[in-house]
Amino acid sequence: MRSPSLIAVAGPSGGGKTTWIVEQLKHSTHPTFYFSPGLGPITVDLARINYTCPTVQVIVGDPGKSWLTNLPLNALVYCELGVQIDLNSALFDPWPCRHLAVLPPCLTDSEWHSWADEIIPGNDLFLENAESLPNLWRSPLTGIVFDPPSLDMILAELTGGAYGELQRLKGIFEMPDGRAFYIDFVQGLKGIEYTELPLEPWLEGRPQRFSGIELAGWNLNQKLIADTLMEGCLSNEILTHYQQQYKNLNPLEEAIAG
Amino acid sequence: MKLAVISCIHGNLEALNAVLSDIDQHKADQIYCLGDLVGYGPHPNAVVEMIRSLDIPTCQGCWDEDIVEGLNACECSYPSILAENRGRAAHEWTNAAIHPEVREYLSTLPLTIRESNLCFVHGSPNSQHEYLLPSMDGFAALERVLSTEADVLFCGHTHVPYVRDLNEGTISVRVTQGGDGKTDRQFTMPLKRIINAGSVGEPRHGRPNATYVLYDTETTQVTLREVPYDYQRTCAAIIEKGLPPIFAWRLAQGLEFAERADDPSHVCQR
Repeated sequence: MRSPSLIAVAGPSGGGKTTWIVEQLKHSTHPTFYFSPGLGPITVDLARINYTCPTVQVIVGDPGKSWLTNLPLNALVYCELGVQIDLNSALFDPWPCRHLAVLPPCLTDSEWHSWADEIIPGNDLFLENAESLPNLWRSPLTGIVFDPPSLDMILAELTGGAYGELQRLKGIFEMPDGRAFYIDFVQGLKGIEYTELPLEPWLEGRPQRFSGIELAGWNLNQKLIADTLMEGCLSNEILTHYQQQYKNLNPLEEAIAG
Repeated sequence: MKLAVISCIHGNLEALNAVLSDIDQHKADQIYCLGDLVGYGPHPNAVVEMIRSLDIPTCQGCWDEDIVEGLNACECSYPSILAENRGRAAHEWTNAAIHPEVREYLSTLPLTIRESNLCFVHGSPNSQHEYLLPSMDGFAALERVLSTEADVLFCGHTHVPYVRDLNEGTISVRVTQGGDGKTDRQFTMPLKRIINAGSVGEPRHGRPNATYVLYDTETTQVTLREVPYDYQRTCAAIIEKGLPPIFAWRLAQGLEFAERADDPSHVCQR
């Protein structure tokens, strides 16, 4: 019996699962689907894939199994398994599913090794055996545009431990020149990664597309983080001023967009 | 004669006490202070009282001026909107905490102190708010020193100590006047020097230690001093007094609280 190709991808947080999947999605020539069980209806990962690979159909929420029967036979389905998902859960039964684990090269023996059909080398991450699981905090930032040097200051403080011990940060942030960036930090890896998203510059008021932030860590002062983020964003007056300046710099682009 | 030059104490009494002890150990004959006694830190009144009780000649810093005149910073004062918000919060706290006689004392401080061939300012001879960064254009830096008619200009404000020698050289100037008249002149400049004293109470060099300089007027030797102190007591006082807790974290990291200059070509408009 022919069926869609199902690929489940697992690995530790920050190991590079989503980044690896995005690279595969960019080059897929088949009808391609992505979903991640257990994620909310809209998250940074889902939005990132939507923005980066607009031809990919992102499945949100818990679609059950019936949707698989309606897929084209040449479909390619990537299923990203977060660390909270039991690797042995029968997500796709009775359809055959290939198991891939994106793992730090230094990790040589783990439950992922015994589960996976193939190991993909991921980020060179040192996995500490933390005594407790990190707390997760996420917040939508849709409509909020950041003052870039303020955002740099906030990210330096967050990743430096000013608001608690941070294990992971990922977010989509809007800039005053209309661009949006995916920003990623993993404790133990060098620096903060900034990736410009392939989106049309938004220069008419507050962007009406998803942006947001997700943090994982210990003893995170969530209220202070939220307050600080708000202190680093632009008022309507300043945003309008910046947007007008950028439009004046690129009048031709504005005419085309109009 | 051995001089100690301190700057940018910012209400950090713990750091000031540690630096004064270090100066004592090095047997300095005279202390000069380049201002910014208050702002960000939890003990603005005590710091001013200490400086006054020791009768230390002191210039007015930008924070001292703001407490007297009100906030009126040029854009160079703050690198971001977030930093500006934090600077405003620190100003409001200090403005409410300061004693009337302390405010009065700050208003009497001179902008410049001259002593033989030495000049002492907070930021630059132009303004307490202007940064003389080590990467500032050499010609502009020389102009600032020449305007004081001194050979050595002591400044603070950047919170990172440095010594910059402007070596002996020749400047050629051609002035075109009305009609075809042109005048050529050459000036030979002796060695000029800028010495930045760093910061006692708000270091920006990546460590919490206080910094200041020792200067020997006979040998012209400069010694940059870095003094460890119990910064955690200052951090605790910042939180206890109701200042933003992020100030304590930044102090412990040796990062600026909020203000920072990063454009050496910027001419302060204050």
